[in-house]
Amino acid sequence: MSRSRIAKFWDYYGTFCILIVIVALFSALSPGYFTKPDNIVQIFVQSAITVMTALGEFFAILIAGIDLSVGSIVALSGIVTGKLMVAGLDPFLAVLIGGVGVGLVLGAINGALVNYTGLHPFIITLGTNSIFRGVTMIISDASPVFGFPYSFVQALTGNVWFIPAPVLFALSLAVVLWFVTTKTKLGRNIYALGGNREAAYFSGIDIKLHTLIVFMISGVCSGLAGVLSTARLGAAEPAAGMNFETFAIASAIIGGTSFFGGKGRIPSVVVGGLIIGTINNGLNMLRVQTFYQLVVMGSLIIAAVALDRLIGRPK
Amino acid sequence: MSAPTALPPGPEAKRPAAEPLVQMRDIDKVFGGINALKGVNLDIRPGEVHVLLGENGAGKSTLMKILSGIYTPSSGTIRLDGTDHPALTPTQAAAAGIAIIYQELSVINELSALENLFVGRIPLRRRFGIGTVDWRGMQREATRILGRLGLNIDLNTPVGQLPIAHRQLIEIAKSLMRNARVLVMDEPTSSLTNIEVKKLFDLVRQLRDEGTAIMFISHKLDEVRAIGDRFTVLKDGTPTGSGMIADYTNDDLVRMMVGRVVQRTFLSAQPVDCSGSPVLTVEHVTSADRTRVRDVSFSVYSGEIFGFAGLVGSGRTELMNCLFGTMSRASGRIELNGRDITPRAPVQALKNGMAYITENRRQTGFLPNFSIMSNIGLSQSLKEAPLRGLWGLLNPKREHDIAEHQRQRLSIKCASIQQNITELSGGNQQKVLIGKWMATEPDVFIFDEPTRGIDVGAKSEMYSIMRTLSNAGKAIIMVSSELPEILAICDRIAVFSAGRIVEILEGRSASEETILSLAIRGRE
Repeated sequence: MSRSRIAKFWDYYGTFCILIVIVALFSALSPGYFTKPDNIVQIFVQSAITVMTALGEFFAILIAGIDLSVGSIVALSGIVTGKLMVAGLDPFLAVLIGGVGVGLVLGAINGALVNYTGLHPFIITLGTNSIFRGVTMIISDASPVFGFPYSFVQALTGNVWFIPAPVLFALSLAVVLWFVTTKTKLGRNIYALGGNREAAYFSGIDIKLHTLIVFMISGVCSGLAGVLSTARLGAAEPAAGMNFETFAIASAIIGGTSFFGGKGRIPSVVVGGLIIGTINNGLNMLRVQTFYQLVVMGSLIIAAVALDRLIGRPK
Repeated sequence: MSAPTALPPGPEAKRPAAEPLVQMRDIDKVFGGINALKGVNLDIRPGEVHVLLGENGAGKSTLMKILSGIYTPSSGTIRLDGTDHPALTPTQAAAAGIAIIYQELSVINELSALENLFVGRIPLRRRFGIGTVDWRGMQREATRILGRLGLNIDLNTPVGQLPIAHRQLIEIAKSLMRNARVLVMDEPTSSLTNIEVKKLFDLVRQLRDEGTAIMFISHKLDEVRAIGDRFTVLKDGTPTGSGMIADYTNDDLVRMMVGRVVQRTFLSAQPVDCSGSPVLTVEHVTSADRTRVRDVSFSVYSGEIFGFAGLVGSGRTELMNCLFGTMSRASGRIELNGRDITPRAPVQALKNGMAYITENRRQTGFLPNFSIMSNIGLSQSLKEAPLRGLWGLLNPKREHDIAEHQRQRLSIKCASIQQNITELSGGNQQKVLIGKWMATEPDVFIFDEPTRGIDVGAKSEMYSIMRTLSNAGKAIIMVSSELPEILAICDRIAVFSAGRIVEILEGRSASEETILSLAIRGRE
């Protein structure tokens, strides 16, 4: 295989190869436990939230931006959903308002600020991340919200046929967004915006409108992840979603999304999220202490991306 | 900058007896088979301002790059201090005291004036056995040199906060501190006010009288007359005249700068009928800053190619941006077939049947992450989509057909339309961009420098594409800085200067000479 064909193959299946290597590694280190069917299902369930936030992050990075506020959007939407349910609202409506609604609004705030100030999304979302977290603490009085209807917890943590609900959720979201990126004009416009913002503008793309939409998509993904996280914990935690941006960004980048914009694929990002979930799970299986996990996690992220660059970028 | 009367007349040119510092003899420079310079001779003498004249692309910059050692001449010699060199190295040129002040200044805006003066050669002083920056010595030296130039500023101000004229003086001071004997100034007045120009000229005269040799590159004949002693004119890389400026009129100089055989190969078969109603009417367009584009009105008729000639920086691209909605306007109205379509954003221009092939393919033209097919299909799919191009599904089959059609129509040379656009040559990339806009079926095409950076063969293809479009009834606007191409293809030519149309000429009767003298002098 020539150098450029290797690069092409790697572009499509590189992330999957990394996943296989990591699975093999953990299987060898922790024989018996890691590969049990129960644990495999567990990995998928644990990865669901990471995958959802990563899907949103993917769009922000696709336009050569970033969204650092995913973690606090997870927390704020969780708290709002929880409060609404405790106040007696129908769980479905609560999810619609607290998950989808809050996500859309917070994403729109990010997008509008980026458009209005012209500052890099890094700065804007660095700021809003802190703002959203602060608001979460204020409205929750820094204490968790619980006491939800059983139907809510059941619907979001149980099985649909034999598939765990969180997995089904994340997968559905991925399929919808995959459709958006590959089959719609909106999706193509976003790739164009990421590839060359000025040329996209001169070609007739309303770049501000599309930037707004991108951040709204990211907001909704995090909002839904927040609902899922609330159901899994059985409580809305004001401190939920801490460091989620790290995992979301790592998943997107391991999934081959280019920081320079305009390049990346949804399926690879899903696999990227699975890689992060697998590393988490594997370290738990090996009984690595939480603090050491952070160290290992960070190192693996850097190694995975470095490997990707090494193979994927022919000189 | 069109009040040359404010400039004092130059003092009587002194006939220098001095030996030339630098003598360039029979300089040729060939780039990829094309002669950029041919048989150029140039004497640079101390105590003299030598003006280098010529159109855009005449070879002035190439010659100066050879002088400063950046380029190696293909043949010829450079005599420096009594020795003949086949070429100079940048180090040799600098050691001989040759310094160039480029139009784009090379000061570092974030550093202070003082640091800029000493950048790369900061003096050290030993203190406690350690080399430390000798700030006091720097201050002393800087004050001395700036005093000589008559510049009185706080040395600690970041240069970015100083007016451009001062930044220029700092750059001059920098070269003087390096003992410049030959100072080359490339269009030094382009961003200065009249008073600043006057001050600069006083300084140039002072330096000249102190024995520095000055090479002055400019387009502006009145300034040239005010400051220059001797001149050399280049046209297409060949010297077409030299002598003492006082012995020649401005008309003489313009004549030396132009005068090719005009080929009107791509003109319309019949003179365009301008009696009916125009396709495009532009009324009183002024840019938001009210300086770059000022009150421009014109009409383009069906079947007509309407050219904009003028110097680089005269505001033609800015006008096109005002028309397309990519630059904000203070006023203006744009009508297409009698209907007001004045666009506020490119998406509106697109939807109302305008197309804009920009001057910079890489920056504002193509999408490097897309295939040829997607690059062609993008704007067409946006034009059809409701909600400002937001809504709707892609139709790969249809897009494939559209792209394939444009590929054949424009004979885009590629292995497949699935290829990435970055794999194509400049000319073929340009065709893809034209195809992108043709697919949107517009009524008005704006071509801004459509042949920049493409080879000769692709150029003439570009002209026939434009003529074909105009024969199909489209209104075509073409901006170009190359006079031969303007004359070869345009039915009418608007000469643009300092944000305005100076005059609209008939393409059939216009000459390079009339266009250039209008463009240089502007509105009297």
